[in-house]
Amino acid sequence: MARIIGGIGTSHVPTIGMAFDKAKHEDPDWKPLFKGYEPVAKWLAEKKPDVLFFCFNDHATTFFFDHYPTFALGVSAEYRIADEGVGSRKIPNLQGHAGLSRHIAGSLVDDEFDLAIFQDLPLDHGLHSPLTLMWPSKPDWPGRVVPLVVNVLQHPLPKPKRCFALGKAIRKAIESYPEDLKVAMVGTGGLSHQMIGERAGFNNEKWDLEFLDLIDRDPERLAAMTIQDFAERGGNEGAEVIMWLIMRGALAPTARKVHQNYYLPMTTAMAVALFE
Amino acid sequence: MKYVFDLEKSGKALRLNRFLHDLIHEDRRKQFLENPEEAMKDLSSEEKDMVKRLDWKALQDYGASFFCLEKLARTKGVSNPQMVAAFRGETLEAFLKTRRVPGAR
Repeated sequence: MARIIGGIGTSHVPTIGMAFDKAKHEDPDWKPLFKGYEPVAKWLAEKKPDVLFFCFNDHATTFFFDHYPTFALGVSAEYRIADEGVGSRKIPNLQGHAGLSRHIAGSLVDDEFDLAIFQDLPLDHGLHSPLTLMWPSKPDWPGRVVPLVVNVLQHPLPKPKRCFALGKAIRKAIESYPEDLKVAMVGTGGLSHQMIGERAGFNNEKWDLEFLDLIDRDPERLAAMTIQDFAERGGNEGAEVIMWLIMRGALAPTARKVHQNYYLPMTTAMAVALFE
Repeated sequence: MKYVFDLEKSGKALRLNRFLHDLIHEDRRKQFLENPEEAMKDLSSEEKDMVKRLDWKALQDYGASFFCLEKLARTKGVSNPQMVAAFRGETLEAFLKTRRVPGAR
């Protein structure tokens, strides 16, 4: 049977991917970020998950507001890298796990999560900006991904409580897949940032650290908060951390945070945390 | 909460956001850079004017999604810190002074 071996929470700021593509690993402005991902990359290299289940959002790249899904699950065997306005990143296409995706789709609908399904669509930096710091992309990715795209752009957004419940249903779905697979959950987004209005550039380190504590110790408390609570504390765009709750909801109740890194160089607080 | 991108804004600015979103296609970027009038032919004169002037704040207030504006910014070689500075009503230099690591961009 498939099993969930742990989880990762990570920012998906596009500049993370840009810093990687420009090989800024030793640049003093970026080194604290790269160093923070090393224990996560090491954990993945040692545990060798077959699949990373990614909870992330598209940035009005692949999905547009003419039809914007709240939750959309990818069921393809392969995903291209999206062009977001400057050409695609030079990284290999992502390999999907179509069998596991299809099983999860069926199990979630059976559990009354009626999500949208997509296939043969390219994926944007929401997934692969953090991925390149955690998983080697050369010569090819060491495993497969299952992408879950969440609406955190166009209000109304899904409730935090719903995200947490969805995570629990994903756990049930993965654990009922008959093939022996090791799956790691990844929840992306945040931490505090606001990109718009006169409050653009807003950060809240105190809240970020509290969030990193609560997502470990008391995720139920985060799940009980509203989108407005998240936006007030972490900025309008920072409310996207609700996607960490999907990841957290899918982990075993006994899972604990074993690593975290926090770096706030520019407009978005960049965090990564590992749970097992 | 201010500046929430909701269904009202999304509905009002759908045409503008569609134009911005289309810049994910290389041929649309090329057309916009070489022949902006033709590329913007479906936009209203108000929308065209804001796009031509790269008036980020006016575009945002009109209902443009930040994430669609990013496509225009990338096409024109404008960075996110430049856009954020414009929303705050300050210069890039002034904005960078408020950051911990101004070089990380």
